[in-house]
Amino acid sequence: VEINGELEILLVEDNTSDAELCLRALKKHNLANKLFWVKDGAEALDYIFATGAYAERNIKNTPNVILLDLRLPKVDGLDVLKRLKSDERTKLIPVVILTSSTEDIDTVKSYKFGANSFVSKPVQFEEFAKVVAEMGMYWLLLNKSPS
Amino acid sequence: MSPYLIVGCLVLAGVFFSIDISIPLGVAGGVPYVAVILASLWGADRNTVIYIALLCSLLTVVGYYISPEGGELWKVLANRFLALFAIWVTAVLGLALKRAEIKIRGLNEDLQRHAQELETANKELESFSYSVSHDLRTPLRAIDGFSRILVDEYSEELDDEAKRLLNIVRKNTRKMGQLIKDVLAFSRMGRKEVSISKVDMEQLVNEVFTGLKEAGHGRTVEVEIKALPKTTGDRAMLHMVIENLLGNAIKFAGTRKDARIEVGGSVEGTENVYYLKDNGVGFDMEYVHKLFGVFNRLHGEEFEGTGIGLAIVQRIIIKHGGRVWAEGKTNEGATFYFTLPA
Repeated sequence: VEINGELEILLVEDNTSDAELCLRALKKHNLANKLFWVKDGAEALDYIFATGAYAERNIKNTPNVILLDLRLPKVDGLDVLKRLKSDERTKLIPVVILTSSTEDIDTVKSYKFGANSFVSKPVQFEEFAKVVAEMGMYWLLLNKSPS
Repeated sequence: MSPYLIVGCLVLAGVFFSIDISIPLGVAGGVPYVAVILASLWGADRNTVIYIALLCSLLTVVGYYISPEGGELWKVLANRFLALFAIWVTAVLGLALKRAEIKIRGLNEDLQRHAQELETANKELESFSYSVSHDLRTPLRAIDGFSRILVDEYSEELDDEAKRLLNIVRKNTRKMGQLIKDVLAFSRMGRKEVSISKVDMEQLVNEVFTGLKEAGHGRTVEVEIKALPKTTGDRAMLHMVIENLLGNAIKFAGTRKDARIEVGGSVEGTENVYYLKDNGVGFDMEYVHKLFGVFNRLHGEEFEGTGIGLAIVQRIIIKHGGRVWAEGKTNEGATFYFTLPA
């Protein structure tokens, strides 16, 4: 699969096991070539806005899609989402909420703050792998984002 | 108690007294002192009210005694009988009413506190179920995922026994996942509001049965659905009730060759009574009280299930203001009854 651009996926996930499972699922479909993984909301913001530890990064190099967990250390997932969607530079990056929560309130809040998709992580690995792979395919290959 | 109120009462009493002794026959026979008592009831404590009533009694008697119409004491008392009567009836009745009001206020405060406590408990429960949904699922996914990866990627290094053991791990994580899902469904049901509409129960039961058959359940079971009275209720919730009860009946009767299920109902006064009867494995009436409890199961691993279905059924029926109960006999079948508004 040919992928354009520098970075394709930014994964914001505090749980190492979930991150590894997610990576494996994407790798199976060759979707993990250009994935960057950050472990909390503050790091995610630093990365996207090229501040702090990522000050050297080119801010124009935005990911094609951001996979965002909701419950994160330091800065909460919803707050990251709000920051991204209220900034002209990052507003158009598709954000997929990828969370263990199945609560309606989380879905509603996420969409309200401008999430492009909400995916609840299934407990079983087969389903999880399927969901992650389908999501990767959709956002990287099928979905047409404004350039 | 406000000192201004007492001063006000005394001033008012003084005013009536001065009028009483300065104009002939006093003010309407001294009855306006009742107004002083009424005013004192508006905040003063019991003893102050009684002192003011005593003072008013004294003033009305003394006032008439020293007025030109006065005269001997017995004549004064006879003349002022109604005034004294009015003063003391007002004082005693007023105090009694006040005591009742204080009691009611206390009860109200208790109620308010209880409501507050309940609300807090409810909120805690909500955040608890939120945590369950999020935090308990994450480690479970890791256990299932990594054991699956072991089976997939290291199958050559693992012998059959190791694979069997890993599959047991996975089977149990699946079960745990189902348990969490069910507990969440149960707690969500508790928070959900009932949205009322007319429900055609016969159509609903047929619909559920078709759904179950499509999912591969109950194809060998003979199900007889009789005419069922319509009801009012939350269609989605009642769907869940029927799905659980019919699903159970199919599960527990499905092991028999001549499995039979009968669904019926009738109007009994202001309510409809529905029943689902099966000739399955049944249950011992000794344990009937455990039937509707969360996670309580009367059957072992030979039948799938987490023990939450009937708890959800009960919760929904109670939300509709109905009752649910069951009768059964080991190896002879079970009948579940529930009532809904007619």
